Amino acid sequence: MRAAFRTSWRAALLPVVVIVAAQVAATVTQLESDSLASPLAIVAAFFSVLKDGSLMRASLDTLMAAFCGCVIGVGAGSLLGILLGLFRLADDALDLTIELLRPVPVVALIPVVMMLLGFGARMEIVIIALGLLWPSVVLARTAVREVEPRLMEVSAVLQLGFPARLSKIVLPAILPQLFMSLKLAAGYALVVAVTVEITANPFGLGYGIMMAQQALRPAEMFAYLIWIGVIGWLVSLVLMAAQRRFFPAFAKGETR
Amino acid sequence: MKQLSMQKLLLGLLGLATFILVWKVITDFKLVSPIFFPSPARTWTALLKGLAGGPLLAQTLETVQRMLLGWLLASLAGIMLGALIGVSRRARAFIAPTLELLRPLPASAMIPIAIAFLGFSDQMVLVVIAFGALWPMLLATIHGFSAMEPRLYEVSAVLGLSRLQVIRKLALPSAMPMILASLRLGLTISLILAVVGEMLASREGLGQSILLASRSFRSADLFAGIVILGAIGLVGSGLLSLAEQRLLRWQAVTR
Amino acid sequence: MSMTRMNVQAGQVEMASPVSHAAEPRIRIRDVTLSYGALQIIGGISIDIAPGESLCVIGPSGCGKTTLLRMLAGLARPTSGAVELDGSALGGPDRSVAIVFQDYGKALLPWRTAAGNVSLALEARGCPARERPPIIRELLEKIGLGRHADKYPSEMSGGMQQRLQIARCLAQEPKVLLMDEPFGALDAMTRQALQDEVLSLVATTGATMVFVTHDLEEAIYLGDRIVCLQPNPGRVGRMVDVRLAHPRDQLVTREDPEFLRLRRELYDLIKDDHQ
Repeated sequence: MRAAFRTSWRAALLPVVVIVAAQVAATVTQLESDSLASPLAIVAAFFSVLKDGSLMRASLDTLMAAFCGCVIGVGAGSLLGILLGLFRLADDALDLTIELLRPVPVVALIPVVMMLLGFGARMEIVIIALGLLWPSVVLARTAVREVEPRLMEVSAVLQLGFPARLSKIVLPAILPQLFMSLKLAAGYALVVAVTVEITANPFGLGYGIMMAQQALRPAEMFAYLIWIGVIGWLVSLVLMAAQRRFFPAFAKGETR
Repeated sequence: MKQLSMQKLLLGLLGLATFILVWKVITDFKLVSPIFFPSPARTWTALLKGLAGGPLLAQTLETVQRMLLGWLLASLAGIMLGALIGVSRRARAFIAPTLELLRPLPASAMIPIAIAFLGFSDQMVLVVIAFGALWPMLLATIHGFSAMEPRLYEVSAVLGLSRLQVIRKLALPSAMPMILASLRLGLTISLILAVVGEMLASREGLGQSILLASRSFRSADLFAGIVILGAIGLVGSGLLSLAEQRLLRWQAVTR
Repeated sequence: MSMTRMNVQAGQVEMASPVSHAAEPRIRIRDVTLSYGALQIIGGISIDIAPGESLCVIGPSGCGKTTLLRMLAGLARPTSGAVELDGSALGGPDRSVAIVFQDYGKALLPWRTAAGNVSLALEARGCPARERPPIIRELLEKIGLGRHADKYPSEMSGGMQQRLQIARCLAQEPKVLLMDEPFGALDAMTRQALQDEVLSLVATTGATMVFVTHDLEEAIYLGDRIVCLQPNPGRVGRMVDVRLAHPRDQLVTREDPEFLRLRRELYDLIKDDHQ
């Protein structure tokens, strides 16, 4: 109990000092700036965007796009990855192509998708899904390859058909890895969503923070920034808790 | 064994040929309008033309330079700061939790902040790249240091190694696998942020180039730019793989 | 040195310098205690160890064998009392005191070859780069790893890794060699081979050895004296002199009636503690 308190005050010291110092500095210098804001002004700006509903609307837009992109990207990627993991021949045939497509940075696809679909949620979802596709393929493929070979032999001896093999052996065996893949993807989806919004899409939290900057409202800009951080943190917290709940052994074994 | 990899290579080339063929069929039969989706041949021509006499080569160099400069800055700062924080248990207790808290923050969310301070400038883009790529390296170095086998700290005490020797000879090599993985991640982030920065701040480079190509519906130029960006990523990760093979030889023999 | 020991065995007590009567002990453990909070691990241990002596420490698990050794290495501080090396108090780790850990897998640098691991000890004491290779080669030869200088620890068997750790300790040119159940994880054949090598190394370098083990026969085979610790808190239960001829031999020594008698005596001692 006391040890826990000791670690937590140490952890809290740095942020608290920074915030207090920032407030003191802002008060002493009577800060008036287009790029800086005092902590109190940021809190005030946060409540004002919270009250007029713009923050919640932007959050929902971003989260919905990230969620849909995540489901589509991880779903399609995992499916492809499982097939490649099961069928060596298909893997050999597609490996080179995938290795060549994988390094294309996802933001390079923004202009293409923008040209095809214009602005809006659809374009953002497609880019997020494309960004998550290859990592999901790779993780699912590795997971399938690492399924205990004995289990595969068991399924062969039992003469399970392909659907039965998939649903009774492979999927249950790789479920923990698939969840980890989803966990990683969720964080990345949020990053891609905000990036797309800042770069191109007039939509969501990324656009919100960009507009606050353009309108020279630094307090609002920092409020958005912190809020984006909080959302990212909450999402990872929820998924971590879910992982601990459903795959306790796996969560512990995972490094870090 | 050799035959097997030969077969793999042939199959891979066959797969790639099929991919390009499907692409060609789609454009030949105009399943997607050629305004948006160029044929492989048109992309290839645009690529050659752009690299030979056109602006593509200069833009590529611009983007690569931006990416590498930001990445190097981030790597140096990340590993040095990480070593300083990681080597002291007390510094870790005070600083690491705050860094963990900031970790999920998307690097691109810092762009507006950087714009507020530096405007739409080259420095702004560089700062964003360096800042975004800093996190993985900083955290990986700290984690690598704290994950060092405690027995090795005792060995260093018994041998009487100085603090600097402990960092150079024990902690850094022991954290090396994590650091190298983060260098790879950092390079990916650097390329992404270089492109985003160029798009946003209209700086010379491939990011701006593909954005302009898409706005004026020059789809062949757009795809040529994307091909080059993919190639940059491919070469970068290939070079890092080579470095990994050399530096982590001791790990390879374990497996 | 072996002459002296022979004399001890023959009963000429006035020549018995390795055993407790030496004028200046190499290590003096003076009424040492160690507690973690309210829990006392070690409760008042005093032992003098003569230069060149080989002292084995046995006792049931939890009697503080390893803790005692860590205090001798300067890795743990006594709560009260002191450890003295050549008459001056040991304030922390000292290069002239080397320690071989049981978990060789953790104590070696996996990213350095055998030669590199030995080199670490030379680097630590500031040996110039030019002078290192011949020293490393000689040490590896001496410990039987001459042909494996370029191998990484992960390419070596457990016995080879433990040899490597011993070689690194020798590179410290230690006056005192501490060994914490070094052969506990090795198979019987390897263990016997290493026991003999350690004995000959100690004899040629003249180092003082403190050897912790849970294997009674190993303790008798290697020791000039054996200290039996008792648990809760750890303290000296019994000190036993080993009057067996040097050099020792795996077959002859182990069949010596004195060996068998000692084994019986120690076995009864340990058994009582376990009840």
